[in-house]
Amino acid sequence: MKKLLFINVILISLTAMAQPKVGEPSPEIVLKDVKGNPVSLSSLKGKVVLIDFWASWCGPCRKANKHLVNIYPSLKTKGFEIYSISIDDDISDWKKAVAADRITWLQVNEGGGWNAPVANLWKIDQIPTSYLLDKQGKIVARDLEGRQLEKAINQLLK
Amino acid sequence: MVVCMATGMQAQFTKATIQASGLTCAMCSKAIDNALKELSFVDAVKPDIKNSDFTVVFKQGQDADIDALKKAVEDAGFFVAKFTITGVFNNQAVKNDEHTGIGGKEYHFLNIKDQVLNGEKNLIIVDKNFLTPNAFKKYSAATAMQCIKTGKAGGCCEKAGLAAGTRIYHVTI
Repeated sequence: MKKLLFINVILISLTAMAQPKVGEPSPEIVLKDVKGNPVSLSSLKGKVVLIDFWASWCGPCRKANKHLVNIYPSLKTKGFEIYSISIDDDISDWKKAVAADRITWLQVNEGGGWNAPVANLWKIDQIPTSYLLDKQGKIVARDLEGRQLEKAINQLLK
Repeated sequence: MVVCMATGMQAQFTKATIQASGLTCAMCSKAIDNALKELSFVDAVKPDIKNSDFTVVFKQGQDADIDALKKAVEDAGFFVAKFTITGVFNNQAVKNDEHTGIGGKEYHFLNIKDQVLNGEKNLIIVDKNFLTPNAFKKYSAATAMQCIKTGKAGGCCEKAGLAAGTRIYHVTI
């Protein structure tokens, strides 16, 4: 009986450590938004979701924000949502960037920079890094940009 | 005239500002952040989007290794495009094209007016591979001493008590 218990513990820790992959269900993420309220990824089930890792000091991320700001409103009405995870260590830098880029989608931050727990679990080694999830919460693509991203979102929304 | 001289005035270097360049966005890479943070004397690394550089804050009272910082950037797959080191000085006299000992290390000031440094000052490192090749050309023309080519003391400085091969940091203000 003791032996069995031991095996169970190992399995659980392995599942928790494995990097999320395309084709697999996304693990749960719960982080705080700009107001400090926890927001869970699972609360978005039923929607097509883009998980977007970024930071205020990342030039290419800010450029990608501009594109997302343009496409977000019409896609949102069809059942699309963005769950942006900032790895900013400085919370005020993050809040300033959210306001400056006029971001209206879900924004969360956990602090701790590159080595924050969620960024570590997802093995984020450069930003921007994004994952597209279908309505069931399964990861279907990584790092899509521009037209390709729009096309994939529209297909998943059908 | 070439004068080599070493004085033992104390100064505390507090941080470095490093602009890294490469084929991709240097600040967007975890590798460079990790490499800098792994250095024992580094307290914090903060990217700055306005100037596209990193501010590397040193642990208080610790001796910062300028060459180790450059190596960390290069090992992460990038080049140093600009390297500024900030120190707090106390009556530190510096002269153009002369060697000055500060905090146990040798500095060779180029393209400056003779002056006395007090309070917080920024020194720009102008050794090879600490700036763009074009900028390096400009500074290497500013001295007749050979040390600018290698970053190390030549035979000329032995009279002044500087052993040949001693690391000399070339800087400007």
